[in-house]
Amino acid sequence: MPAIALALCFSVIPFLKTFVSSFLTISQSGKAIGFAGLDNYKTLFEDKAFISSIGNTLRFTLYFLPLNTVMTFLAAALTRRRRKCTWIMEAIFITPLAFSLSAFALVFKEIFRGEVSIINRILHTSLLWLDRPGSAMAVLVILGLFLDFAIDYILLTAAFRSIDRSVIEAAEIDGAGEVRKLFAIETPMIATMLSITVFMALKDAILISAPVMILTEGGPFRSTETIMYFYYLEAFKSGNRAYESAISSMMVITSAIIMGIIAVLRRKDA
Amino acid sequence: MKKMIALSLLLMAGMMLFARGSKESGKTVVEIWHSNSGPSGTAFDEIVDDFNSTIGEEKGIVIEAIYQGLANDVLTKVKAAASADISSLPDIAQLDATACLDMRNADYLILPESADIEISEIHPAAIEALMSDKGLLGVPFNASSLLFYYNKTLFDSLSLNPPETLDDFAAIAPLLGEKDSTGKVTRYAFAGVPATYELGAFIGAQKGLSYIVDEKNGHMGTPSKVLFEEDGTFRNFLGHWKALYDTGFVNNITSGISTEFAAGRTATMLASSSSLTAVINTVGGRFEVGTAFVPMTDEEATGGVNIGGGAFFLFDSSDAVKTVIEYFVSQDVQMKWAEDTGYLAINTALYDNPEYLAFLDENPAFKVATEQMLQSNPAVTSIWLPSAYQIYYSFQSEIRAVTEDGKDIDEAVHDMATLIQRAIDEYRAQNID
Repeated sequence: MPAIALALCFSVIPFLKTFVSSFLTISQSGKAIGFAGLDNYKTLFEDKAFISSIGNTLRFTLYFLPLNTVMTFLAAALTRRRRKCTWIMEAIFITPLAFSLSAFALVFKEIFRGEVSIINRILHTSLLWLDRPGSAMAVLVILGLFLDFAIDYILLTAAFRSIDRSVIEAAEIDGAGEVRKLFAIETPMIATMLSITVFMALKDAILISAPVMILTEGGPFRSTETIMYFYYLEAFKSGNRAYESAISSMMVITSAIIMGIIAVLRRKDA
Repeated sequence: MKKMIALSLLLMAGMMLFARGSKESGKTVVEIWHSNSGPSGTAFDEIVDDFNSTIGEEKGIVIEAIYQGLANDVLTKVKAAASADISSLPDIAQLDATACLDMRNADYLILPESADIEISEIHPAAIEALMSDKGLLGVPFNASSLLFYYNKTLFDSLSLNPPETLDDFAAIAPLLGEKDSTGKVTRYAFAGVPATYELGAFIGAQKGLSYIVDEKNGHMGTPSKVLFEEDGTFRNFLGHWKALYDTGFVNNITSGISTEFAAGRTATMLASSSSLTAVINTVGGRFEVGTAFVPMTDEEATGGVNIGGGAFFLFDSSDAVKTVIEYFVSQDVQMKWAEDTGYLAINTALYDNPEYLAFLDENPAFKVATEQMLQSNPAVTSIWLPSAYQIYYSFQSEIRAVTEDGKDIDEAVHDMATLIQRAIDEYRAQNID
């Protein structure tokens, strides 16, 4: 009951209010001054910058999601058995949890700044990492990996370790090799957890904004401006209430769908 | 359990004592949200400490200076505080030109006039920068202008003078630049992509005075119309800028420009005069830093630069606030502030102050900025637009498209005008109350 009250107070009611105001014209001081119908959505979709922010978000998701999945899966798979030294690897993989992503973003910003950057010294290159659309996006994706890596790693190793040993031992007796055991026996058994991490990463990718704000500020030339960063600019920098309510309504619905899928997956597991 | 209770009681008692300690007996606190970091942050803190230990001590006033990020972040926070609870606003906030539009429409702003603040000694260009149809919006404190920075050591070795116009610049750019044997550029003549700030000068100075939008760039009312397309001023600028870019020695980067400059990888750059001390510190004596007037778009662009930087906006009209503000614009404070940072001294009495004049003579790089301000048309003003952030980036995108992708200049001008027009229209639709 208290949980429902809290949810009602802090998410459902504000969302409904936002949803309603996305069909109204709201003044900068927050007063409703007229009915706009679908106009707010219409102008939003006519805005080239918004359309390109959708493109940028999709591009980010497209690079981030497979990379994140493969990396966390590999890390978890390689350390799934407890051996003498796995704790070292575990500690390294979980460390990102202890730091805020913003701190990483600041460090990245210094590492990749300008042509005389630290990374160029190390790699003997002379790339302007954060000043070319392609490489700026790449740096952002790499930074994004820190977002979910630790938590995904914990979930996946826990899933691996909760597999019933007898199944694995049976496979061993049948002469299954390491690779075969991993992909044919263990992976299917953690499939639900794996798909949960994938959808969580998907949700995070679609909502990404803080690293963008710190690392690239949407640049160069708005090429890394994601939907949520665009939203931040419009809502907080420009005070554009029309965009604010329209975008947040759409994003809440999108992430609600993704969270719904996660919930269904979890139920299937239980 | 008993131990726990005893411990927490002890802690609470300690906190109460501490809280009482921080609120000094009977002094009026003036809270300022500011945006000064680096050399400016140090200078600002010293100025505040100075007040607290002298005038503040005498009159029972304490300045509490709170750093709130960049000027733009301060604005975001002021707006958030105002919409949540007016009483959470500070007494004073240091904001820049991008805040003016919001501040003009804010019912919680106290105009300097109503707070009875003396402004007769402040330079007219700095006043003009903050003048609106409702009167002066804030009190200038950290005034600055666009400034042309160049590698003086390099210019001297080539016996070159800083360019006066963009055409001059295009003519000397190939001399300033350098390529290695593979044809890769190792030193650019210029780095950066102009945005709203630079165009305020490049467009504003044309024909002596040009506006980007009507209502005197939005100062005299919410703008309703984009002017640069009709006037042909943006088009004119893009033509000259493309010629400069086509020399092959302009680096279209939007971040880390002063790092590149300090590393000697670009011969010149445009930046705020307020960065002067920071730039000189970063260069660290590897070469001599020279400053010059911003190159003119063409021979007829004689308007000079607009005064930007920041000002104090008041949300309280008490005598303590008045005392604090008058301290900040006083000769002594303005002199220290200008010498430590590169901001322009806005107290006109300083222009006859022998101590300040001696400083300028010893530091020609600082002198240029002041001279540029004095020679500029005070009517060339900063632009007050809604969606300032988006417009800033769009200017850069259009300039890049013209220079790198060969986008038609007229098309770029039209796209830019359409974008600003739409932002204005949307803002007007939301502000008819």
